[in-house]
Amino acid sequence: MPYSESEVTREVECIRRVQKGEGAAFGQLVERHQQRIFSIVFHLVRRRDEVEDLAQEIFLKAYRAIRSYNFQSSFATWLSRIAVNHCYDYLRKVRASRLSYYSEMTEESAHELERKAESPPPQGLDHGEKLALRDFVGRLLARAPEDDQVILTLKELEDYSVEEIADLLRLKPSTVKVRLHRARKRMLADLERWRQEGK
Amino acid sequence: MDCKELRDLVSELWGGELSAEAREHLSNCAGCEALWRDARLVQAGLRALAEEAAPEPSLGFASRLVRRLQEWQEKGARSEFFETVGRRFVYATLALTLALLLSMALPTSGPVRGVAGADFLGLQSHSQSSQPDVIGGDFGDSHELTPGGPTD
Repeated sequence: MPYSESEVTREVECIRRVQKGEGAAFGQLVERHQQRIFSIVFHLVRRRDEVEDLAQEIFLKAYRAIRSYNFQSSFATWLSRIAVNHCYDYLRKVRASRLSYYSEMTEESAHELERKAESPPPQGLDHGEKLALRDFVGRLLARAPEDDQVILTLKELEDYSVEEIADLLRLKPSTVKVRLHRARKRMLADLERWRQEGK
Repeated sequence: MDCKELRDLVSELWGGELSAEAREHLSNCAGCEALWRDARLVQAGLRALAEEAAPEPSLGFASRLVRRLQEWQEKGARSEFFETVGRRFVYATLALTLALLLSMALPTSGPVRGVAGADFLGLQSHSQSSQPDVIGGDFGDSHELTPGGPTD
């Protein structure tokens, strides 16, 4: 969401007050950015019950690090970077349990889900079918390596541009493009492999 | 166009329009056609995921967070205070203990017992005057140093 000049000025003042130790001013920053952070966290970790706790941890981290914020990038980008890194660590931590979840899921149920998702043409999905497809692709995304999850989520779910992702992840735009391309390829290959394993 | 080129194109275009050449390849290649369908399926799924709204922050999320921050700051300041005071107390106790140990250990570790300890404590004169000399004590002195032996 683009900010007006006065909003930016207000935000800068607010950040400076927090940097001087005025904790109460941080509340204004939280209110301004909480929606964006909740969205990033939710799309990355896909667990409603964890979103608020993770968001809280992210804001606490940001508060502790706010003196290092030097206004080089926008505060939204700086904060989103903390959120992405925090979620990345979370995804790595839960990876083991997630894998065991998949191993517990019977092949039959996984492929039943896939059949449901594939049966109608994607354009004409009714509500239930859309939910099945969403669930299926969500699981496919969760199987991907953490780096792929982050880059695909930022691009496909959070609708960030290649340049914004590059700024956020401190990468060159050309590197982001290559990583996106590879992540998509890996996801499709994984889907193919999953299907073949079921045959 | 071969299969590898088409696979690259599918991941690169990702939802964009395929060229006539690519479409022709798809019509003749079942494997690539399946991949193209998969890509569309995944894209539709990702769109559906993007539409899913994130949960709203619960009422008072920001104010609760600020309260927690303030508690954390107070706790931090308190623990910093106790840490500093505690550290000084520990240092003082250690220094005192070390001084006591030294005062007790040095007399017994010197080459001459008793005298060294007395030196250390500044009691040399008192010690010398009150302690009987094993070589020439009161009895020895009176006995050995009597000139001419006992007088009858």
